[in-house]
Amino acid sequence: METSKLLNEKFSLEYVKGELVRTAYSTEVNLLTKLDPRVLLIWYSYFAIVPWFIHSHVVLIGYLLFMIFLTYKAKVSPLILVVLGLGLLTEMGIIFLISLLFGGNFETVLPMFWLSIKLGGISLASVAVFTSLNPEKFSDALLRMGFPSAFSFSVAYGYRILPTLLEEFQQIILSYRLRGQAPSKNGIFYWRKLAYYLIVFIRSFYPLILNTAKRSRTTVEALETKGFSYAAKDSEMIKLKTGYLKLTYIDYSFMMISVLYLIIVHALHFVL
Amino acid sequence: MSKPLIEIQNVTFQYPGSDVRVLNGANLIVEEGEFLAIIGGNGSGKSTICKLMNGLIPHFYVGEFEGEVISNGHITTTHDVATLSKSIGYVYQDFENQLLRPTVLDDASFVPLNYGLSDFKERGKWALQVTGLTHLANEFVWQLSGGQKHLLALAGAIAMRPKVLIVDEPVAQLDPQHAKRIYDVLRTLNEEYGMTIIVIEHHTEFIAEYCKSVALMDQGKVLWKKDVREALCSVEDLISRQIFPPQVTMAAHYLNRDTAYPITIEEAVAYFQLNLPAHTFLPESVKTENSAVLAVKNATVSYKTLQKQMKKALNNVSATFHKGDQIALVGNNGAGKSSLLKLLTGIVRPTEGSIELFGKTLKKISPEILSNDVAFVFQNAEEMFIDDSVRKEIEFYLKARKVENATALVDQILEDFDLTSLQHQDARLLSGGQQRRVSLAIGAAMRPSVVILDEPTANLDIATKNKVVLMLQRLKKHVDTIIVATHDMQLVAEWANRILVMHQGELIADDTSEVIFNQQEILNCAGLVPPQIVTLCHELNLPHCATIEVFLDCWRQVEQRGVLVGN
Repeated sequence: METSKLLNEKFSLEYVKGELVRTAYSTEVNLLTKLDPRVLLIWYSYFAIVPWFIHSHVVLIGYLLFMIFLTYKAKVSPLILVVLGLGLLTEMGIIFLISLLFGGNFETVLPMFWLSIKLGGISLASVAVFTSLNPEKFSDALLRMGFPSAFSFSVAYGYRILPTLLEEFQQIILSYRLRGQAPSKNGIFYWRKLAYYLIVFIRSFYPLILNTAKRSRTTVEALETKGFSYAAKDSEMIKLKTGYLKLTYIDYSFMMISVLYLIIVHALHFVL
Repeated sequence: MSKPLIEIQNVTFQYPGSDVRVLNGANLIVEEGEFLAIIGGNGSGKSTICKLMNGLIPHFYVGEFEGEVISNGHITTTHDVATLSKSIGYVYQDFENQLLRPTVLDDASFVPLNYGLSDFKERGKWALQVTGLTHLANEFVWQLSGGQKHLLALAGAIAMRPKVLIVDEPVAQLDPQHAKRIYDVLRTLNEEYGMTIIVIEHHTEFIAEYCKSVALMDQGKVLWKKDVREALCSVEDLISRQIFPPQVTMAAHYLNRDTAYPITIEEAVAYFQLNLPAHTFLPESVKTENSAVLAVKNATVSYKTLQKQMKKALNNVSATFHKGDQIALVGNNGAGKSSLLKLLTGIVRPTEGSIELFGKTLKKISPEILSNDVAFVFQNAEEMFIDDSVRKEIEFYLKARKVENATALVDQILEDFDLTSLQHQDARLLSGGQQRRVSLAIGAAMRPSVVILDEPTANLDIATKNKVVLMLQRLKKHVDTIIVATHDMQLVAEWANRILVMHQGELIADDTSEVIFNQQEILNCAGLVPPQIVTLCHELNLPHCATIEVFLDCWRQVEQRGVLVGN
């Protein structure tokens, strides 16, 4: 009873919302937020892609340790880490169960363990980077790196509208809760309640999408009156807007340290 | 002297797919430096005529367009919206949807940036300074309150220093203090920066105080454009189109003295002056103590902010709601009204304290448990629509509980709320007033003991608002207690028999409107502005009058007595 109450308070929708928002908007300053967003994006594209082609255990562990360190430095939300951890564990469990069906045994766990290490490293890199990139800088970096302005605008707009959508989604779920009838019995493992809330959750998307569609009319009109289509033709605007993005000594040292660390890790592979 | 900035000549317009002419030979001339209010009933073409000015019509809405519009020297049919918008700022009624960037300063400087001006940041900063948002420059847009968002939409529209600023219903969603602030900003822009301001407005009290001229629209035409005083004194013209002049003007009109009516409270005090001896009337307090339905006891609600600090949304609040109570919950934005409503409906749990239902303390608090006795009608009706027709919305609750005779009950409710003819339509596609009626009907269909309404009259024009007040009377036959959170002091004065005043998470007063409107400290503290007629009575040393009718009776009596005494 007590634990369920604690869980209830810790994992209220409000808490989840708060943590997501904190992650998405990087409201706190950390080591990575001081970097130029372009550096961060390039750095990220290396650590999101290259590990897939690496099979050396030493290097993978080296990558993972680096990511753990950065995750710690980036003050990633514990909620995200728990979800990530759960995801990796269940994935491993499910694949293991399936492999048992096909005549596998405990030895099959081992390669999966290394896959999880790889995935873990990549996921942590993603979380650390996106916790530290605020929407403004993110979209400006994309713009400066030559992505179309409509694309970078959409990214920024996504960030702008996300909390509004979350809020509205919460209200619609509430409408279902206030007018619907929750099952009076919990059932084994709360399955009745869980099923009920799952259905409410899914059904809430439908009104949300309709309301959003209706609202977007003003948004599109406003874009027009704010001269957005005018700017789309203008490359001067990009220079104006992203003029503040400048590489500093922090960026260079971060790059240097990363490269140095990579050299050491890869060298260790041959030594060990 | 002044030259026409906008000329609309004989414009006829029909939205695609509609067979009604929204504009039907409309003519309007706006001079430079004007502060113009456009008034008119629903569907008279107010918003449409404003969308002519920046070319949204006919470029964005491609309907059947005839006539000519010259805006700042450009003929709108030959220039695109972006070019025309350089000199015209537009603030929408649903202003939240025009905030497009994540942070405040970025949104304010978005327009000059789009036009490639190198000083875009400075322009954005200037706009924030004029609107008083400088201290929020680096905040995220979603962290702002409703009033701040409106100011930001305004800042975004003026950053180009346009010649014309169009604002669609500036105060519809704001509390009186924020509404006044918006208008003060508009006045500054008009007087100090020479901007021409055009507002679409229902609130004639604001028109009287701030605007210089008024254009009345009816059925797609501009009937007349007059100086503000002359316009508001054309009482018959206005009332026949469901527009209500300031209360003091109406009162003077009904007394039928002459045609030069007062339009502001200061003028009214001089106009109605009776030289009565100062007399203090003892206001009546709440006295009826019927059985308690719902109560909160010493409730405190705390929450964690993004910066991980604990903040108290409610601080040690106690209140008991009785059978027959018609309660208005008032106070500024952020005073804790919503938190109290959420507490009463079980959406948030008290950090300390408890909730009692019919005298029993609730052991477990959840929306599911309380929803059997307490119905909550949201401010934004759209968020209550979870099915695809009005009828299904209303019967959702009954069906979920497999109530017998649900069909008959729903039929009855549909009739009570004038929704029978709309029952098979999707509620999202109805007009604002109709949506509000549906949301009230949903509340009534839950057959609750208590119904809680969050801002039931926000965003409605006065005629529709009066209808909602009528609906509140009908709602009374379905429930024991009604609690309304509102900024609308006219609704408070005319409808409520008990007022709770909130300020900074605390309940600072709980009494009749008569008592509360007489206590200047409370009014100042909570930022309340009583209806004109109440203030007038107070100034004239007359007894409290909640409505114009009561005032008229009272005034006639006093006048007669004065004549008899030989005054």
